[in-house]
Amino acid sequence: MHLVEKIMAKSSGRSHVEPGDVVVADVDVALLHDLSSYSTGRVFDNEVGGSIAQPERVVMVFDHIFSPPGEEQANVLQANRNFARKHGCTVYDCGNGNLHHVAMRNGHIRPGVVVAGSDSHSPVHGVMGCVSVSLGNNSYAGTVLPYGKAWLRVPHTISIELVGQPPPGTTPRDVALWLVGQIGEGGANYAALRFEGEYIESLGFWDRWLFPLMAVDVGAKAGYMEPDAETLRMADQLGVDTSETVEGDDDPPSEHWRFDVSSVPSVIAFPPTIGNIAPISDYAGTPVQRCELGGHGGGRTEDIAQAASIMAGASKHPDVLFNVVPSSRAVFTESLANGYVEQMHLAGATWFPSSDGSNQAINMGAMAKGEAMLSTQARNYPGRNGSKDSSMFLASALSVAASALNGRITDPREVL
Amino acid sequence: MSDKERSELAFLGRAWVFGDNIPTDHIVASHLVFKPMEEMAKHVLESHNPDFPLQVQPDDILVAGVHFGQSSGRAMAPKALQATKIGCIVAESFARTFLRNAYEIGLPILECPGITSLVVDGDQLTVDIPSGVIRLPSGDVAQARPTDPFLLAMLSAGGIIPLVRQRVEAGQSLI
Repeated sequence: MHLVEKIMAKSSGRSHVEPGDVVVADVDVALLHDLSSYSTGRVFDNEVGGSIAQPERVVMVFDHIFSPPGEEQANVLQANRNFARKHGCTVYDCGNGNLHHVAMRNGHIRPGVVVAGSDSHSPVHGVMGCVSVSLGNNSYAGTVLPYGKAWLRVPHTISIELVGQPPPGTTPRDVALWLVGQIGEGGANYAALRFEGEYIESLGFWDRWLFPLMAVDVGAKAGYMEPDAETLRMADQLGVDTSETVEGDDDPPSEHWRFDVSSVPSVIAFPPTIGNIAPISDYAGTPVQRCELGGHGGGRTEDIAQAASIMAGASKHPDVLFNVVPSSRAVFTESLANGYVEQMHLAGATWFPSSDGSNQAINMGAMAKGEAMLSTQARNYPGRNGSKDSSMFLASALSVAASALNGRITDPREVL
Repeated sequence: MSDKERSELAFLGRAWVFGDNIPTDHIVASHLVFKPMEEMAKHVLESHNPDFPLQVQPDDILVAGVHFGQSSGRAMAPKALQATKIGCIVAESFARTFLRNAYEIGLPILECPGITSLVVDGDQLTVDIPSGVIRLPSGDVAQARPTDPFLLAMLSAGGIIPLVRQRVEAGQSLI
């Protein structure tokens, strides 16, 4: 059995499962953000009721809203806090950071278990060698909260082998976006993606993170790396229990897709969907009024370090609002220690609280008609950030910083 | 499955045809996510077809391309479609979060590769979920992929919450 099959078998009390089987698995931890806490809480209260089986394993992170801009958002947060207090759920309130980073940084994710996430990017946690899948409100309210269980159909496993090393200026974020373009939106529907090969093995934990993060964009159910020394190093650093670590058997995957990354350029995802990938040079010169480091696809210490390498001693373009949103308080602490906070501040960037940043423009990042943003966010659908006639472009932190410097989309190799 | 349950999973209605890769953000826009369901239903899919939320009738059939309902896994997207009282959705393929949410709220769906090349917006279709048979205006038939029996049971029960309640009350396991 592959890793996902082994974990699904173990967590459902079976000795063997195969792709297509439906199992009822024990959920080790359930992740909810502020929006899904609210919608799930309403379904649970109105249609289910009673108590929560393992409330401390229900982790709520209030991340789209870092400080309520209006009464409607304040009411949502109040309802979430009341629900969590009533049932004893674990809460990380506004200002702690992005759901996935907060869950990982605080040791809630461990190898070999089933993680249920409300957010569609939940497969990201497969970086820890676990099965992490997105479930909807009614799954949460109907089975996860009252019983600590979820029904799951066992996915087939596709091997994604990445070989070679990309040229200077191409970051792991570029490679991950490029891969979305190569596989295509919905190109791996319902599958589990096993990321492997010499390129993946060469990456540190937080760079590997970017690959299972994009599993949802190609339609996959899960993404993961087989646990190795780097996985266990991070588990140790985070104080995570590794006693349930599982390794997949050497069975042939349902498909094996091999990609050579050695000539991947810096890329951009252009509207209307994330599968529209082009070399960033194709869009060079397009004016941008917003640049942002943050969201699911950014806000890591690695992103802020890349940006600081360009911005230190320089100044952002006067027509650009350059916003920096750490993905967790730990990232801000690391950025302080490394001098990035001061460097970015003096370059004219604005630090925002640890959160999701402009994700869906719930708390920041709305644009007017005709405006454009280049960001490390994860999605670029028109209308998601204010006017449907504004444009969201997605790229690496290096590209975002180079573009903030010039006030127009810039291939980072121009300024490196 | 009883005859009554079977008849509740068959639909005759107007086809509303949509394209590929439509995100849940465009089914229910972000600025509506805290609004009441009736409000969401009034705007469902309006950025793709403004007539749809205004003119959709009970039992109408939404036909879509590949990877329908991608992006955010918000269950309010299929819930808002259900609130319009459409009969079912037939798509080339679904994003898995949308597929899961649809079954879990009791909204019938079928995956039928090739369907968008067979159906024109405004066609009258009949769709039978248990058999996966779709009858076109020409009299021809399209055959959808079969539905897993567990998911069919979930649809018949009206979703995951009533299914769990039924099975717990009957002393049965979920599967």
